[in-house]
Amino acid sequence: MTTEYTTRMGDGQRIFMTREQILADLKEGMADATDLGEIPDLSEDELDKLVDIIAMPARMVGVEPGKEVPVTHDIGTIRIDGDQGNSGVGIPSSRLVGVMMHERAFGADTMELGHIDYSYKPVKPVISNEQQTMEVCQQNTIVPLLYGAMPNLGLYYTPDGPFENPGDLMKAFKIDEARASIEGAAKHATRDITWIMQKMMASGADGINFDTIGAAGDGDMFASLHAIEALRKEFPDIYIEAGMAGELTLGLHGDLQYDGKVLAGMWPHQQAEVVSKAGANIFGPVVNTNTSRSAAWNLGRAVTFVKAAVKASSIPCHVNMGMGVGGIPMFETPTIDAVSRASKAMVEVAGVDGI
Amino acid sequence: MSKEEMFKELADAVISCKKDAVDAAVEKARSEGIEPAEIIEKGLAAGMNEVGIMFERGKLFLPHVMLAAGAMESGVTILEADMPKDTASKKLGVIVNGTVEGDVHDIGKSIVSTMLQSAGFEVHDIGRDVPLQDFIDKIKETNADMVGLSALMTTTLPGQKAVIEMLKEQGLRDNIKVMVGGAPATENWAKKIGADCYAENASEAVAKAKELLV
Amino acid sequence: MGMPIAHIMTSGMSGIRAAGDLVARMEFSKSMRIGEAKEYVAKKLDVSTIDLSDEYVMREIREDLGIGVITSVAGAPKGIAAKMNIEKLLDIKINSCERFRKQIA
Repeated sequence: MTTEYTTRMGDGQRIFMTREQILADLKEGMADATDLGEIPDLSEDELDKLVDIIAMPARMVGVEPGKEVPVTHDIGTIRIDGDQGNSGVGIPSSRLVGVMMHERAFGADTMELGHIDYSYKPVKPVISNEQQTMEVCQQNTIVPLLYGAMPNLGLYYTPDGPFENPGDLMKAFKIDEARASIEGAAKHATRDITWIMQKMMASGADGINFDTIGAAGDGDMFASLHAIEALRKEFPDIYIEAGMAGELTLGLHGDLQYDGKVLAGMWPHQQAEVVSKAGANIFGPVVNTNTSRSAAWNLGRAVTFVKAAVKASSIPCHVNMGMGVGGIPMFETPTIDAVSRASKAMVEVAGVDGI
Repeated sequence: MSKEEMFKELADAVISCKKDAVDAAVEKARSEGIEPAEIIEKGLAAGMNEVGIMFERGKLFLPHVMLAAGAMESGVTILEADMPKDTASKKLGVIVNGTVEGDVHDIGKSIVSTMLQSAGFEVHDIGRDVPLQDFIDKIKETNADMVGLSALMTTTLPGQKAVIEMLKEQGLRDNIKVMVGGAPATENWAKKIGADCYAENASEAVAKAKELLV
Repeated sequence: MGMPIAHIMTSGMSGIRAAGDLVARMEFSKSMRIGEAKEYVAKKLDVSTIDLSDEYVMREIREDLGIGVITSVAGAPKGIAAKMNIEKLLDIKINSCERFRKQIA
């Protein structure tokens, strides 16, 4: 009888697959990435290694000694106290306690301070509180501590912001107006992010984490790249991490460019280049998990995309491996077996510089 | 020119996103005596389908999708004169689409609406953070064939289930298809709450809507 | 919440339990790739790169250099004081230390 190994679906449920089935799914996921991104296949050895990782007879696996990489937990400071119903655990505590617990108890290599709403725009009215918290945290921590949030261009559109919703304009065939709205929103977002970080740097922040760049399409990325450029110019030593929202930069505008390159339609290996050119220190590639496919399919696809990005990038790559990305199942409490396998695969096969 | 070549020319004209090219290709197909329904289905709609695939592959972007849809609509308008009145301007189905109450995420849902509209459905996008009763009211008002329920957070996902329960309570469930989507939604979740389908992305939403309604 | 801990256990450098924070600082401050960052830090500490994730090796080194440990060693540098020692060790500037110096100048 053929041996079957316990593995997972993209939504986290337990399934059983043979080595041959695992390999077939890995290859299919890889083929999807190579086809979309026009990037190279993984080698036979790399595919075999991925099969071995998935089929390892242990609940939790780990990287080989000496291959460890820095691991951070973005938004981790509010994951103890915060409770957004999907990822915080709601234990009453402060953000200082959150960062210190991650540093001293959990062994995080870097940390990030963020606020519960986690977008840049709403930081403006509470900036003094954020500065005060950053100062207290910096006085008490040793690991690099960034300030982080989402560029979230969506907050600049009606009903949350001053610019008409480009989605509505687009549906009404008002394409030029939709594009103008995106451009206007991007300018505001760049200005807001830059202003917020001027304040946070004055309070001792090590730098900034852009979380989910491109979540609102190419305009979101355009705004972020210009903010990165402005911050690098003003603060030559600032740490800048640019983490993406997905493997493909969605083209809601379609014509926005940075450094002469159209942003819409970029895949991770192309995103890495512009992010670096803008002045980021760390690129955070993201590959979303397909919940209807197996962990093997998702891992084959994610590792292929990320490996190409790691190769193309001139700066370190810290792959995003949260819920529903990087081969991690899309589930509130992703199983440890799936998380540790995806983690090991990204380090040992994709060659990431951090997580 | 063979029929197949003509269909390809029509599809290519849609993919070019140029209204003039589509109008010219439609006029040419008409002069060749091809049936309007065939021009639409095998030429224009096939081209629009390809546009959807190119969008998912990052080769075309949302403005192009809308330009292509506008060009196709122009071609269909030309053909309406040749079509029986009851079939002219007929949409593939009526869909109410929105993000459930408590969830302010708009962009993914909006892309799905745009793609459904471009594919030939009559779409009523009722926005984001939509009170659940508003879905029911809009379904009644438009006599919708399908409702799309989007949620991007695990906290708002139960809103999808609640709408299905409300449809049942009000005796509407048997007459409408329910599609769910959004990051935390899954195939299993769709089955669990009794939705008719789950769509992973915008092009899958179009494909599944066609499967269920066309 | 458990997910980042699983990542840290699987792949991480254990932060200040070992030398993860130091390697991360070189990635961030000089855009060094992982191999280069590890080499740089290992050279500064006069250890091998495999020692950088080894709590046994790093515990004593960290205390000796005053760059911070997880336990409350009385009188040992913590927070900004530890980071000032990291600045000297790695030959980099750290923003919070710069701000602190300006405040006491």
